[in-house]
Amino acid sequence: MHEDTFDRVLVPIASEQDAESTCEALLEYLPENGAQVHVVHVIEKAGGAPDKASVSQREERAERIFEHCRSVLGETAISLETEILYGTSVAETLLDHAQSIDASAVVFTPRGASRWVKLLTGSVTENLLTGTDRPIVVLPQED
Amino acid sequence: MGDEELAKDLGLVSAMMIGIGTMVGAGIFVLPGIAAREAGPIVVLSFVIGGMIAMINALAVSELGTAMPKAGGGYYYINRALGPMFGSVSGMGDWMGLAFASAFYCIGFGGYLTGLFDGTALALPTLDLGLFVLQDIQIGGLIAGVIFIGVNYIGAKETGGIQTIIVSSLLVILAVFSFSGLFYFDWGTVITDGSVAPLGTTEILPGTALVFVSFLGYAKIATVAEELKNPGRNLPIAIIGSVGIVTVIYAIIVGLMVGIVPYDQLSEEVPVSQVSEITFGALPTLGAGPLSLSLSAIGVTGITVAALLATASSANASILSSARINFAMGRDKIVTDWLNEIHPEYATPYRSIALTGGMIILFIVALGQDLKILSSAASVLHLIVYGLMNVALITFREADVPGYDPDFRVPFYPITPVLGLLLSFGLVWFMDAEVIALSMAFVVAALLWYLFYARGETTEDGVLSQYILERSEEMPDAAVSAAEAASPDETRPYRVMVPLANPRTEGTLLDLASTIAQERENGIVHAVHIVQVPDQTPLNRGAEQLDRIDSESEKQLQRARERIAETDVEIETSTILSHRSFEEIFDAARQFKADKVVMGWGGGRPWSAGRAERPIDELTHDLPCDFLVLKDRDFDPSKILIPTAGGPDSDLSAEIARTLRSAVGSEISLLHVVDGEDEREAGEQFLANWAADHGFGDAVLRVDDSGDVEGAIADAAEDHTLVLLGATERGLLSRLVNRSLTFEVVDTVDASVILAERPSDRSLFQRLFGRQ
Repeated sequence: MHEDTFDRVLVPIASEQDAESTCEALLEYLPENGAQVHVVHVIEKAGGAPDKASVSQREERAERIFEHCRSVLGETAISLETEILYGTSVAETLLDHAQSIDASAVVFTPRGASRWVKLLTGSVTENLLTGTDRPIVVLPQED
Repeated sequence: MGDEELAKDLGLVSAMMIGIGTMVGAGIFVLPGIAAREAGPIVVLSFVIGGMIAMINALAVSELGTAMPKAGGGYYYINRALGPMFGSVSGMGDWMGLAFASAFYCIGFGGYLTGLFDGTALALPTLDLGLFVLQDIQIGGLIAGVIFIGVNYIGAKETGGIQTIIVSSLLVILAVFSFSGLFYFDWGTVITDGSVAPLGTTEILPGTALVFVSFLGYAKIATVAEELKNPGRNLPIAIIGSVGIVTVIYAIIVGLMVGIVPYDQLSEEVPVSQVSEITFGALPTLGAGPLSLSLSAIGVTGITVAALLATASSANASILSSARINFAMGRDKIVTDWLNEIHPEYATPYRSIALTGGMIILFIVALGQDLKILSSAASVLHLIVYGLMNVALITFREADVPGYDPDFRVPFYPITPVLGLLLSFGLVWFMDAEVIALSMAFVVAALLWYLFYARGETTEDGVLSQYILERSEEMPDAAVSAAEAASPDETRPYRVMVPLANPRTEGTLLDLASTIAQERENGIVHAVHIVQVPDQTPLNRGAEQLDRIDSESEKQLQRARERIAETDVEIETSTILSHRSFEEIFDAARQFKADKVVMGWGGGRPWSAGRAERPIDELTHDLPCDFLVLKDRDFDPSKILIPTAGGPDSDLSAEIARTLRSAVGSEISLLHVVDGEDEREAGEQFLANWAADHGFGDAVLRVDDSGDVEGAIADAAEDHTLVLLGATERGLLSRLVNRSLTFEVVDTVDASVILAERPSDRSLFQRLFGRQ
């Protein structure tokens, strides 16, 4: 893999449970110095219908996710930036953001979801893979 | 577009659709039959009156909603205004009210589902489970309930367009229905026995009570207010507009229905289907044979589908907003945060939804045979919340809360909110006694919940009790003690603030502070480094210099942290730059809400110079909290002398002495000075009583009859290591600062001295107009 792939990575994190393991897995691949990590959490909006969960409720969760990431990456030489994104399509919002920060790659750990849940909620992974204009790196999930 | 706007994606139309969609389901498709049988054809007026009551409350919701566009709606405003006790009642009332309403909508849905499948292979059965019977409608309701709860639990994607399409098509179907109804409307059907009110006009208001559930939807707009675009404009228009629109729709359609089917023959379950069978009955059948197309059957089925959509959107919106209320309650610690955890995959508040869902299912099974109980319980609980909301509005206006700046203000204040309060509580009066009892049981449960759970958790006090407690002198005693009783327990930390200037004695001060903090379960030490800067130096100097001061200060505070780390007391630190260090201590104590200030005196501390911009008297006559001032001479609390003449300040000395005694086993002597031999006996009596009252049964008691207070203290101090001196008169501290202290003894004894002063409890009047 090209060295620069991990220079400026966009790391979407969906849940508190994923935050620490994703950051730890990420640490193993990042170059020693100068890597930039942009951790984002997308708050999915219904775009005109009330959301299932309150926006501020999910913003509070996003802050807790970022806190987990800081606890793992904060002590390292990595420059960490966090941001909450809003959008009606998670994948589209992520790819737009990747473009705006000129990310070298989008890095994430896949989330398990049963087929019928994906059918109802839409598969973010699939949409990311089909819509991307830059490298997507899937980190192995630790058990 | 900024993130802010992206998070707010509900426009005016969407908001209005939420309101109309939630309301119209119940009013048209479920209730007209039941209500008409109770009130007669004049039930139309019941609906209109219900709409007017809803409108008056809608005005209040609009004002509160534009002032605080936050998740949670009514609960949020009431908790802010009236405090967590009423907050608990309103949160629980709103939540349970929504659960009852959802159960009611589900049963409505079940009714039309049963009707749709009736006579087909899918016809719903009636189950006899031995203990109770589940009617077919209940089974339909359960199916609906499980689906709606599931949709909200999994968070199946629902986009803005769908909501708008559903509600718009509903309105179109209703318009067609009304139009067809015009041809069948007959005044003769309306008028029975020569009157539109054959059951009497006294049935109008009970009718309103029954149908009020049809107007509960507008408040849902307020629970999602944080997601509204431009809430200052859109919230009032959507709320007031949707109430106005549904009131007109109800009046027209219910009016038509009682003019088509006699009021006493309207179906209790599926009135709209029944009426549509008549109005669409004459529609021709196109074609012939097996390919024939019955327009009438299409019309009737269309109405049934509309009914399903309407009740479904009502139930969906109610379940959804109940999770918002849970979240708002969780944020204020009235319910546990556990309830509001977001699902890692579905990103939904799944526990809250599951709990609410469980209650909806329970209500369907237990009470679903009587729609009236469900709808009335929902109405009563909501009306209680609406009533309280009007009180909240009045409180915000009267208390003149900073930051309360609604874009929309109710007209004719205070008449409107008072009317809203009276009408809301008044309408409860017309409910059935058993429903009122059921609802009151929930209110009592909410109060118990507050007393036994939330009171110990929540810290947020309401505007009202702050308003009353701040004016405790002017308010009736009953109001003050009620406000105190209803306030949350003090769970905020017990803060012992230590102003630090001189590293030489900070160790002793910190030890003393941590000993005091340790006495309390929630005690913490707050070390505040007050950095004195010369007057000519502006406080907003270059970043470089600030950094230097900060890093120096950080070094000193680090030492403080290390010192405290040896104990199990928590420490917080702050740095304050100041021109006027003595006043700064008072300001900091107020700002940090300190419970005690432990400060050193002398030894080159800048505040010992007694500089202050305001008169010291004014400053020290209004202490923000207990002050302990230590004149340190190799601090050793092993032998403590407490001179006392009674009063609150020697109470404070006694408290500190007890703390030191339990921490290091100090020996304690009490000293009381009287003016002569003849007063000695009374003096001994006083001292013995004082010792017993303050837990010093084993202390050495000394009565000195020389009448020379200072001499007596100086003599007694000879064999003691610490003198704990309460101010026997007001303003000890001020005279210390002024260097006019009559107790020169503080400077002459060899022992360390702690001066203790409690805040004066002089009234506001005395503080402003005279001294004691």
